[in-house]
Amino acid sequence: MANKLIDIVNISKSFGDNLVLDNLNLYIRQNEFLTLLGPSGCGKTTLLRILGGFESADHGEIIFEGKNINSLAPNKRKLNTVFQKYALFTHMTIAENIAFGLKIKGKTSSYISDKIKYALKLVNLDGFENRMPDSLSGGQQQRVAIARAIVNEPKVLLLDEPLGALDLKLRQDMQYELIRLKNELGITFVYVTHDQEEALTMSDTIVVMNQGYIQQIGTPEDIYNEPQNAFVADFIGESNILSALMVEDKLVKILGVDFPCVDIGFGKNRPVDAVIRPEDVELVTPDKGILQGIVSHLIFKGVHYEMEVEANNFTWLVHSTDMFPVGTNVGIYVDPYNIQIMKKPKTEDAEAVGVEE
Amino acid sequence: MKKFIQRFYLILILILLYSPIVTLIVLSFNNSKTRAKWGGFTVKWYASLFQNQDIMNALYTTLIIAFASAFLATIIGTAAAIGIQAMRKSVRTPIMAVTNIPMLNADIVTGISLMLLFVAIRFSLGFTTILFAHITFNIPYVILSVMPKLKQTNKATYEAALDLGASPIYAFFKVVFPDIFPGISSGFLLAFTMSLDDFIITHFTKGPGVDTLSTKIYGEVRKGIKPEMYALSTLLFVSVLLLLFVVNLSPSDKENKKVVKHRKQKQFIFRRLVPALLLLVLIGGGIFYGRSSNLTGKEQVIVYNWGEYMDPEVLDLFEEETGIQVVYEEFETNEIMYPKIQSGAIAYDVVCPSDYMIQRMIENNLLAELNYDNIPNAKNIGETYFIQSKQFDPENNFSIPYCWGTVGILYNKTMVEEPIDSWSVLWDEQYKDNILMQDSVRDAFGVTLKYLGYSLNSTDLDELEAAKKLLIEQKPLVQAYVIDQVRDKMIGNEAALGVIYSGEAIYTQWENENLEYVIPKEGSNVWIDSWVIPKNSKNKENAEAFINFLCRADIAKMNFDYITYSTPNDAARDLIEDEALKNSPIAFPPKEDLERCETFSFLGDENDALYNRLWREVKSN
Repeated sequence: MANKLIDIVNISKSFGDNLVLDNLNLYIRQNEFLTLLGPSGCGKTTLLRILGGFESADHGEIIFEGKNINSLAPNKRKLNTVFQKYALFTHMTIAENIAFGLKIKGKTSSYISDKIKYALKLVNLDGFENRMPDSLSGGQQQRVAIARAIVNEPKVLLLDEPLGALDLKLRQDMQYELIRLKNELGITFVYVTHDQEEALTMSDTIVVMNQGYIQQIGTPEDIYNEPQNAFVADFIGESNILSALMVEDKLVKILGVDFPCVDIGFGKNRPVDAVIRPEDVELVTPDKGILQGIVSHLIFKGVHYEMEVEANNFTWLVHSTDMFPVGTNVGIYVDPYNIQIMKKPKTEDAEAVGVEE
Repeated sequence: MKKFIQRFYLILILILLYSPIVTLIVLSFNNSKTRAKWGGFTVKWYASLFQNQDIMNALYTTLIIAFASAFLATIIGTAAAIGIQAMRKSVRTPIMAVTNIPMLNADIVTGISLMLLFVAIRFSLGFTTILFAHITFNIPYVILSVMPKLKQTNKATYEAALDLGASPIYAFFKVVFPDIFPGISSGFLLAFTMSLDDFIITHFTKGPGVDTLSTKIYGEVRKGIKPEMYALSTLLFVSVLLLLFVVNLSPSDKENKKVVKHRKQKQFIFRRLVPALLLLVLIGGGIFYGRSSNLTGKEQVIVYNWGEYMDPEVLDLFEEETGIQVVYEEFETNEIMYPKIQSGAIAYDVVCPSDYMIQRMIENNLLAELNYDNIPNAKNIGETYFIQSKQFDPENNFSIPYCWGTVGILYNKTMVEEPIDSWSVLWDEQYKDNILMQDSVRDAFGVTLKYLGYSLNSTDLDELEAAKKLLIEQKPLVQAYVIDQVRDKMIGNEAALGVIYSGEAIYTQWENENLEYVIPKEGSNVWIDSWVIPKNSKNKENAEAFINFLCRADIAKMNFDYITYSTPNDAARDLIEDEALKNSPIAFPPKEDLERCETFSFLGDENDALYNRLWREVKSN
């Protein structure tokens, strides 16, 4: 692909006996907002640190704009990092923090002060030049950290769980802010998070990782609607994951009941996993359902009701704007388009990878 | 009630903690020289303190060593701490333990081992060795105070700096250094105070003529505490107090973070102004005192002599006439002096040991042969004394007599039946509880062996056992076994008889005219203290010039007047105006008396041990 900016080839890394990245391949395109998503310990931060130059890979290559940068020192790389804990220089003012990289590059002082103004405006912190980092809130500090990184006009901005320490409201605000920044600046973002909602909101591409392996790469819609294995399905959003039997093309047997679906090519009478998102489970009168069950649990969640329905020895998670009181007999119906069929992991190793979380 | 007890307890503790220091401070303003009496308020001790060149020199040395050692230890320690911090935890923990051990180690062990190390690598003790020693013991303190700050430091800030394009060194100084600066500065101040405070390690690693305040004070106190010392100690206490205030006020500027201007000012004061002022004081002091200090590297001679064994004016005269600077050190006993020379740690140029010790030094090849061409004044020394010296220096190659004397009986004419002419009076029942014996093994046995008609260098077990038996028999008659108090007790008419050195006898006669001195007819000990030059002397010609100067008639006369011990210098004796003194049989006994006397010889370590064992048996019987 012509616009590959970074190519990560066969990267492996272990700390002691602990294999963190196993022969990982990934490319990052120009101007892309790519998110590395996974539970803690999945190797996403290590991958980011290898990109930043703070760790070196045991095997493999990092190709940046066509050149191998494996042995390039962090201060020589054309990318900047926004750290998890902001890592502001506490003994410098905000202006001094932002000017840090520019001064090293030997920019003129008028250029630097223009840049400081521009960057602070960009992150909505006009007039904060002479404040000290400790006097700022977490969100403000984070925006300073971003400003400090972007004034250097990096090709790529690496962000390591930058919103992790913020409260929910602030986090949502910052998400929009980051998207806006990315669009205004036109630089590539590589974003690390364990928060699937954050990933879905902001990314062009999501890379789901677990235990050093990439589980799935795709757009947020792909990842959400077409999880390729149980791990991804479970990790992204909430889902009902059921062991099922693919009877034939477009027909799957779930909990002993035949469900029409749209998937083909799995063969006949093959064990598979079926994923059904809770909002795709439609509750109808018992006679109209494919399956019959009893509502056992009910919580009001604001946008919708969350219910649990006991049917054929399985507890179905259901999101619905309609409310059915506990004890109601209901029918369960799923649109064939909303059943996602996945292959069962073949080997035990792959299973371990998939089912761990 | 409970509150009262709480307060009472607190006050009690404060009194316990601070009453000694308050006493010291009060005494430093006491106009009266004695401690017992309040003679009104004065600051004269402070004034005389600042006029005392020696003490100001010591102060300057102390400050330089404290500053330089703290500074270097801070650099080394901080670098070490960074290295240790970067290690894996399994390595870091034992390394930290290893760096902590020197702090817990007894100072005396550190001091001795440093001295041994310096001697082993042939590094002569002096200013540099103190500096090295202080750097060594300061490093762990710096590591200890920098380490926690490093642990607190967010590693990400360093990485952030690298990420923004900083080189590792730039990143360290711009980002890490300011973060750990409080740790570094408190480490520096800790090291500084530790260095100021140290006595023991300095004592073992210092060379001649270099003194820090603590060793200077120790040296002065040995001679008797002068009120200037109270003033000096008070100033030291106040300085440390001030330093503590500085430590506690320095950049802990949490509250002032928002007020940038104020912070900058504070930063300016602590980063620029304080060090600049310190530097100014150091340089100023250096220029002011450096002129007279021995650090300036001009011609010098390092003298190692008994305490109170030379007129200080003689040294001034020598410096004036020759331009050679005298570094003067004192020792208390031959046994303290010997190992210092033997170890070669300090290259003394001229030393004044006693006869038997000279013999031992010659046997151990520690002395340099004298070049008599450089000591023409040796002709002033009487032939007799050179002949006497042959007992320990057979060829007169190594030593030139300085002082000599005999051991005899001092008696109070009004309390005894004359004539006293034999050691036998020491065993005379009628003087029970009126006899003073020397509390030293060789003197006590020497007297007894002579009484028995043996040599006082006897190593014959039967003779020694006989002497021991006699000494035990004598015990009930003896009022006290003493050394220096013989003089004072005899002057005070507290005893009738005492064994004493002739030099002391002259002085007691001036104080109490009823006292008389005699060398018993059985013979006695004649001792000679002579000047020798150690083999490792670095200024042999200066040393010979010094000996030559001391042999000059007028100079020998000055010393005789000052220390009152017999001089072997015939020319000097001729200059004595007081005919009675000039012909005193105590200072200058007749030849036939002297011929009955022997000098002590070095008997070897085994016999030394034998003597000591027998003496213990006497004392414990």
